[in-house]
Amino acid sequence: MPRSEVEADNTAVGVDRVTAAFDAFADEARLPSIVIGAVQVVLDELLSNTVKAGYPDGGPGRIEAAFEVVDGYLQITLVDDGIAFDPLERADPDTEAALEDRPIGGLGIYLVKQLMDRVDYERVGRHNRLRLVKSLEEPV
Amino acid sequence: MEIREDRREQGLVVAVGGRIDSNTAGELEKALLAHAAEPRLVVDLGAVEYVSSAGLRVFLMLVKKSKAGGGKLALCALAPGVKQVFDLAGFTPLFTIEPDVAAALARIA
Repeated sequence: MPRSEVEADNTAVGVDRVTAAFDAFADEARLPSIVIGAVQVVLDELLSNTVKAGYPDGGPGRIEAAFEVVDGYLQITLVDDGIAFDPLERADPDTEAALEDRPIGGLGIYLVKQLMDRVDYERVGRHNRLRLVKSLEEPV
Repeated sequence: MEIREDRREQGLVVAVGGRIDSNTAGELEKALLAHAAEPRLVVDLGAVEYVSSAGLRVFLMLVKKSKAGGGKLALCALAPGVKQVFDLAGFTPLFTIEPDVAAALARIA
C-alpha cells in the first residue's frame, strides 16, 4: 500500500513542501482527481491556519504529514508542535445567509469537515494531531 | 497562479489558472478587485486546479463590490472540484455561473 511521510518548517515554504509531497503521493497512488482537489483544499486550510495561528510567540516549529491508502481509504495524519488548537470545536458558519450577511472568512474548517469523511483531533503531549479519512470508492 | 485579461466588445474576461489558496489569494484579490467596477465582468475559472477558503473570500468580496457598483458579474467553467467547494460553502446561489465564456458573456449582456 502506498505511503508517504514528510517533515517541514512552520513557514509558507514548509506548507509548499507538504503539498508537493502530497502531489507526488497522489500521482503514485493514482488518486481520483476530485479527491486530489479536496485534499489540496484541506491541506491549505489546515496548514495555513497552523502557520498563521499556531506559533503566537514566533519561533521555529515542525509540521509532519503522512499520507497512506489503506483498504480503499486515504488516511492523512497532520502533526504540529504549535499551541493546542482543536479546529473541530469551531462553530459552523451559516452557509445559507443572504449575500449582505455573509461574513468574509470562517469557512476553512467547515470545508475541511465537509470534504473529508472523518476528522479526529487529539492533543498528544506538546503536539496537535489530526487524522483525516477520505473514502476513495464512493463518488463525491 | 496565472491571470490573463481579455477586453472584448461584450465585457472584460479575466481568466485565472492554477491554485487559488492562502499563498495566491492576495494576488487574485488585487487583480480582480481592480475590476470590481466593470459593468460586465466574466471570470473564467476553467484552468483553476482548486479554490480554498482564502480564494472564496476574494470571490465574495468581488460579488459584493460588483453588486454595490451596479456591475454584472459571471463566473464560468468551474471544474467539478471547484464547483463542489462553491456548493459546500453555499456560494453557488450567490453567483451567476455558466459553463463557458460565451454563455457567461451572453448571460450578462
